[in-house]
Amino acid sequence: MTAADAVAGERSQLTIPPRPRTWPRAAAIVAALAAFTILTTIPAIGGVELDFASIARNWTNGADRIVQMLTPDWSILPRTWQPLLETLEMALVDAAISAVLAVPLSLWAARPTNPNGVARRAVRFVLNVVRAVPDLVYATVLVAMVGVGTLPGIITLVLFDIGIVVKLVSEAIDSADAHYMEAGRAAGGTQTQINRVTALPQSWPAIASQVLYSLELNVRISAILGLVGAGGIGRLIDEMRGFYRYDALGTIVLEILVVVIAIEVASNLLRKRLR
Amino acid sequence: MDNTAATQRPEAGDHASPASGPWPITLDDVTVRYPNGVVAMKNVSLEIGAGEMVAVVGLSGSGKSTMIRTINGLVTPTAGTVTVGPHRISRLKGAALRRARGDIGMIFQSFNLADRTSVYRNAMVGRFSHTPTWRTLLGLTTAEDRDIVMRALDSVGMLEKVWHRAGALSGGQKQRVAIARALAQQPAVMLADEPVASLDPPTAHSVMADLADINADRGLTVLVNLHLMDLARQYTTRMIGLRAGEVVYDGPAASATDADFEQIYGRPVQQRDRLGQQ
Ligand SMILES: Nc1ncnc2c1ncn2[C@@H]1O[C@H](COP(=O)(O)OP(=O)(O)OP(=O)(O)O)[C@@H](O)[C@H]1O
Ligand SMILES: [Mg+2]
Repeated sequence: MTAADAVAGERSQLTIPPRPRTWPRAAAIVAALAAFTILTTIPAIGGVELDFASIARNWTNGADRIVQMLTPDWSILPRTWQPLLETLEMALVDAAISAVLAVPLSLWAARPTNPNGVARRAVRFVLNVVRAVPDLVYATVLVAMVGVGTLPGIITLVLFDIGIVVKLVSEAIDSADAHYMEAGRAAGGTQTQINRVTALPQSWPAIASQVLYSLELNVRISAILGLVGAGGIGRLIDEMRGFYRYDALGTIVLEILVVVIAIEVASNLLRKRLR
Repeated sequence: MDNTAATQRPEAGDHASPASGPWPITLDDVTVRYPNGVVAMKNVSLEIGAGEMVAVVGLSGSGKSTMIRTINGLVTPTAGTVTVGPHRISRLKGAALRRARGDIGMIFQSFNLADRTSVYRNAMVGRFSHTPTWRTLLGLTTAEDRDIVMRALDSVGMLEKVWHRAGALSGGQKQRVAIARALAQQPAVMLADEPVASLDPPTAHSVMADLADINADRGLTVLVNLHLMDLARQYTTRMIGLRAGEVVYDGPAASATDADFEQIYGRPVQQRDRLGQQ
């Protein structure tokens, strides 16, 4: 009997195993999530209070501001260049510093590149703490410590970036195939040698990708950090907000949008080249 | 390279000169039980002489990979001892184990190259055990290491690809780079775990021929896991059959009959047990 005969013979008497029914499970999960969401908005049992009526009552207050923001006052532009440049510089410097620091930390935080469970968990724990502290808290404390200016902003962003980049890169290393490590081990290499010569080049795309992402986040966050005196475009935002200059704020928001899109386009190009 | 003085064996850890001469491999009553309870080797005792070319055959799951990994300490036996030349592998740890591994080359079914980096850097992995970690960390290589790596690549015909990305090579080329990586260790023993299972038949034959050359020209002890009976017959001199973690055959490879294979496999010989061609 040839293989073709075998296939033909089997075709007449195929017994397909019954397909498992998965929808009741899916429906139950959706129902549970929906019930949980509704429960969290009932104040009587400790849920958050959602007063939709207040939106209607106060609508006009907000609407005025939105209308103002939608009619940007371009005369503010010349005043924005310097702080915007400062924000960009901060974002770049931060991304660079955090990239340098994140490379060894990521390798320490990932299982294939750091088989020592104690050291790995210690690094991960410290990074969880770093991530748990809100960036505004870092900025406020640092402004008190080193004074108003870009320095507290830079340190805040570096802490923030390391938290994100190390987490995402070490997870990427964890989930990637690492057969090449076995060859290094079989050749009598130390983990450091294996990481340096093989794991590092294998991880470049993940590192570059996350650092570029942090660059974009830096621009957005530095807009907020200015509120506590940590430099950049945020300082100007705070000032305009104080004077109720929502038309000027509209201009600044548009500028940030343009910068963020430009960074995204540039990093997409870079990512493609890295692949 | 001095691979002729078979009688002269360096002290374990002496790396002033490459390991000279092949080494024997001894397994004494080795048992491996994995943490999940699977017993992959049961009381295996073997003597492999210096400079022998040995095939280990057996069905999937028979314990071939486990056995070959106990020889360079990637798997630690639960009982018994493994000795390679001067090294008592099953007792070594840390730096001493790394030094011993440096004298034992290994190639793998899936090549285990770092695809995103160059052939050169992949072959440099073979120099790890001869290089202090801080030098590797700073990316410093000696002229001698570069020379050893280039010669190893040349010996498998991959020198012209030295600056190419490893991921851009064909399967056969990758396995040759992996062989060069192992040769760059200047080992006394070469282990190969199903080195041709991911290759097409003509490439499989040429890689097996490379291994046979390594055995004949450099005089290395070669232990190669295979699941194809004709490759074992054609390229090796001695065959060890494993079934369910036990040695069920040990004899010359060339004269092993189909009946011998049926005994190893525990089933009739099938078409897929042969590679064919050549
Ligand atoms: N790391 C491990 N943990 C637990 N069990 C394992 C492990 N590695 C192998 N085994 C089990 O040990 C037995 C022998 O496996 P081994 O990989 O040595 O066989 P093999 O002869 O190399 O098979 P193949 O031809 O498929 O590679 C198998 O039952 C396998 O499931
Ligand atoms: Mg195997």
